[in-house]
Amino acid sequence: MNRTALVWRLASFAVAAGFIALWQLIANLKLVSPVFLPGPDRAWAALVRGFSSGDLWSKLAGTLEHMAYGWLAASIAGIAIGAIIGSSRTMRTYVAPSLEFLRPLPVSAIIPVAIAMLGLTQAMALFVIAFGAIWPIMLATIHGFAAVEPRLYEVARSLQMSRLAVIFKIALPSASPDILAGMRLSLTVALILSVVCEILAGLDGLGHWVLLSARSFRSADLFAGVILLGVTGYVTSVAMSLAEHRLLAWQAAQQ
Amino acid sequence: MASAAKRLEAISGMPAPQIRFDAVTLQLGGKTIIEDLSLGVQPGEFLCIVGASGCGKTTALRLAAGLYQPTSGKVNFDGQPMREPRREIAIVFQDYGKALLPWRTAAGNVSLALEAGGMPSAERPARIEELLRTVGLPGHAGKYPSEMSGGMQQRLQIARCLAQEPKTLLMDEPFGALDAMTRQGLQDEVLSLVAASGATVIFVTHDLDEAIYLGDRVIGLLPHPGRIGIELSVNLPRPRDQLSTREHPEFLRLRRQLFDFIKASEH
Ligand SMILES: Nc1ncnc2c1ncn2[C@@H]1O[C@H](COP(=O)(O)OP(=O)(O)OP(=O)(O)O)[C@@H](O)[C@H]1O
Ligand SMILES: [Mg+2]
Repeated sequence: MNRTALVWRLASFAVAAGFIALWQLIANLKLVSPVFLPGPDRAWAALVRGFSSGDLWSKLAGTLEHMAYGWLAASIAGIAIGAIIGSSRTMRTYVAPSLEFLRPLPVSAIIPVAIAMLGLTQAMALFVIAFGAIWPIMLATIHGFAAVEPRLYEVARSLQMSRLAVIFKIALPSASPDILAGMRLSLTVALILSVVCEILAGLDGLGHWVLLSARSFRSADLFAGVILLGVTGYVTSVAMSLAEHRLLAWQAAQQ
Repeated sequence: MASAAKRLEAISGMPAPQIRFDAVTLQLGGKTIIEDLSLGVQPGEFLCIVGASGCGKTTALRLAAGLYQPTSGKVNFDGQPMREPRREIAIVFQDYGKALLPWRTAAGNVSLALEAGGMPSAERPARIEELLRTVGLPGHAGKYPSEMSGGMQQRLQIARCLAQEPKTLLMDEPFGALDAMTRQGLQDEVLSLVAASGATVIFVTHDLDEAIYLGDRVIGLLPHPGRIGIELSVNLPRPRDQLSTREHPEFLRLRRQLFDFIKASEH
């Protein structure tokens, strides 16, 4: 790591530490009632307590499971549909406008529909998460497939490559930077929707934990859950960036 | 079909052309780009095509590759109609930057052609190494195209084309974007590669000297619509030499003739 990067890293830690100190100060001065705002010390204690009793582990596992299944389903469906639409000009012309209509629909609007159809079930959660997370992936895939260098298709034709080989050796790798960027965006969407579904349907997970803690005025537990959600979002996004970096090593060579 | 070609060869004493254009006309977007083009290229021949910008050189090459189908007339390869591109015909594109897979290394790019040809993966590494050595890129197997110079990328594209083991090599201004020194080096390399493999070549270029230096025959196209305006046989001794060939009186005579043709075709 070079020096400027190191300085920036240190500065960002300092800012984070500053926020925590401020939080502690506000809590200590009781500017906000301790019933609603625990200090970082109490939140940390709740976190440790939650993990040692095992409760928080299972909640975390529940949320990760919802998120992962929804996100994977969204990725598979999003890439497949995006590939079909993106590789055909006719499909793009006819389907893209409808997509533009559907895309800005807030996912929260389809939650009642999903509940009406599937009830307060895991299946409903999976559907809602996948539905919300599919958009960034599908739109990025369409874009990626539409932007494949036409020359490469001519190379493929002159090599008499099969349709399948063209998809897996030319189109997908060429679109992979777009697809991975879409998948990274969807990760956050999947986490948010997991929490929402857990709260609405009472499914086992951090969303449920946060809801119950709030209802029974256990503010320290509530904050422990929120912190854990933040950490989950951060860690998954960093993991995704690392995966992107590895998969797209050839792009780094281009700069 | 093949036996008919053989018979023809027996009767005429001339080998049947490997590529044959029979009164080929091509229209694109309502415009006639190529009109009534007839042409035969013998196996092992090195044919160069020159002509002013926009006269249809690339289009003619794409017809030979099977990337375009004629509006009327026929394009035959080995006596059979060209309906689609085939592995026996390799194309070296001018824009090497777009024709290589940026996510594959040099070895991976060569491998693409071997994979398409169905070579078992165990046999590929040795063949890739051999091909990269042939085009003067030994030791660059692990590099991505973006880490290579223009000349190296074009060599890589040539290596991939050789991996197809083509009977015909189509080259569209392959050295157009390269500097003079790199260009001359690659000209000689292409000549020796072609001599070694016995492939038929159609080579499109803007550069009249390059056409005469490389070719057995040079065809000049006239524009709007594209048709043959001049045809010259190049009777210069082989192997060609960058200094003595270019000073040969025959070279200078052909150069003059071609130059006058291009000059006249531009009006
Ligand atoms: N797909 C197409 N649709 C319509 N017109 C085209 C198409 N492709 C080429 N043309 C036209 O056909 C003519 C010949 O094009 P071509 O690319 O074959 O010329 P060229 O001799 O290779 O030119 P250059 O030396 O600039 O490469 C040009 O006038 C061009 O505008
Ligand atoms: Mg051209």
